[in-house]
Amino acid sequence: MHAVSIGALPRKEALVPTFASVAESCLDDVFGYLLYLTKDRSLAEDLTGETFEAALRRWRRFDPRRGTARAWLLSIARSTALDWFRADGRRRRREARAGVAELRSPTDGELGEGFSPALEAALRSLTAAEREVLALRVVLEVEGEETARLLGITPTAVSTRLHRALAKLEERMRDHDVA
Amino acid sequence: MTSLDLIRELQASRPSAAEGLRSRVREIAAPAPALTRPRLARISFPRLSLVLVPAMAVLLTVSTAGVIGLAGSGGKGRAPTQQEAGRLHQNGTGKKQATPATGFGAASTQAASPSPLDLTGGGTTRSPIAPTPGRAQDVDATLTVKVADSNHVSSAAQDALDITRALGGHVESASVTTGDQAQAQLTVRIPVDKTEDAVTKLSALGAIVSQQVSIQDLQEHLDALVRRARSVRAQIVKITARLESQDLSAEQRAILELRRRNLRSELRSLRHAIRATHSTASLATVELSVVTPASLGVVPTTSRLDRSLDKALEILVWEGIVALVVLLVAAPLAALAVVVWLLRRSYRKHDDERLLATS
Repeated sequence: MHAVSIGALPRKEALVPTFASVAESCLDDVFGYLLYLTKDRSLAEDLTGETFEAALRRWRRFDPRRGTARAWLLSIARSTALDWFRADGRRRRREARAGVAELRSPTDGELGEGFSPALEAALRSLTAAEREVLALRVVLEVEGEETARLLGITPTAVSTRLHRALAKLEERMRDHDVA
Repeated sequence: MTSLDLIRELQASRPSAAEGLRSRVREIAAPAPALTRPRLARISFPRLSLVLVPAMAVLLTVSTAGVIGLAGSGGKGRAPTQQEAGRLHQNGTGKKQATPATGFGAASTQAASPSPLDLTGGGTTRSPIAPTPGRAQDVDATLTVKVADSNHVSSAAQDALDITRALGGHVESASVTTGDQAQAQLTVRIPVDKTEDAVTKLSALGAIVSQQVSIQDLQEHLDALVRRARSVRAQIVKITARLESQDLSAEQRAILELRRRNLRSELRSLRHAIRATHSTASLATVELSVVTPASLGVVPTTSRLDRSLDKALEILVWEGIVALVVLLVAAPLAALAVVVWLLRRSYRKHDDERLLATS
């Protein structure tokens, strides 16, 4: 009689992703989202770094059963971007009160590699909220339910916002063609 | 360009991070620990506190009540209240023997009666004062004895009846109540010369709660009746002798006969009163009550565990009242805090929308 060896069952820990692997896989998505939101490549890079730093601090509390790591990172990215927008708004108001001329640095970089100038211009003319929904639903192909949870609105509102954004984009493209 | 074309073009040109950013993120992610901590560690502190704080509060409340209950339960049990002590008429020892209680005797209603009866005695069984032989006396005794429980009430009552009959007496009335508040009430008539014996034997049926013997002297009253009866008889004899003589007028005869009739009527009443007095003096009346601790309303001594639990429950009730008061005071403030938090959250969301719409 010989002993039968039984292969070891996969450890639970092996099924849980590491932060490094999650960061590697979601980096482009997070960066792309922030780029669409801010229209500024260097600012998007800075905010991407801040996003992953914040995510590292909260990594222990992440529960894979409650959602994907990508959605989790995108929600942190959104909070980071909104914090920046608020801080930027306060700075502009302080400068306006002080009578200092607003020194607005030109936005840096393209939103997408290989975009036509018309599309680039049309995208930049949209609001951040419109670019955001385009980035999530179209570029990153995030599900409607997940997008709704991320934005804090209903899935119907997401569809409406997307439809309006595309319609506006289409109109701007048409205007450019006419011009 | 249609929407479909736009979508295709947008998807075809997905942004990608530069190598510098990629390196930077790799550096950030390098020291990240593996996600192997227990589930509890991944629960946020606010969520954990939502569970832990109430649990700790309940634990603290119950343990405080338990400690105070245990500390306050010391001693040998609850002493009877003054009311209960008065009701028991005990002499302080509570021993289960036929110890005469601090009873008291009723003074006779007649002038020349024996002194009041003092039944306080030592620890041993002591007979009550016996009636004076040779004198007519109205003897009444009232006894209360306590038996262990309701099961012994009926047997004690039966024993009392047996004692009565053995002493040549009879039962005048008997009432036995069964159940939790079992007790028996008996009234028996005992030959007066057996009174002492009857009280001693009946007292031995249980622990004496109270004992009272009253003696009312009837001898002088009886003597007065007898003297009066003798006098009336003598007058009747005289009148009868007078009526037998011949030299009486009709009127005189009528008067004498009327007087003799009245005297005879009085004599009958006197003889009836003498018989009744003799009857009263020949038998003593003994009223016996057989009771149990429950029917007396005595609270049995509880164990330390019971006292601790009672005290702990009392503390818990008070803690509950305090918590309710705190809740009533804090509830409006908590509601206000929730409303403020909701408003702030709503404002924040609206502000975010505004920011994104204007950027």
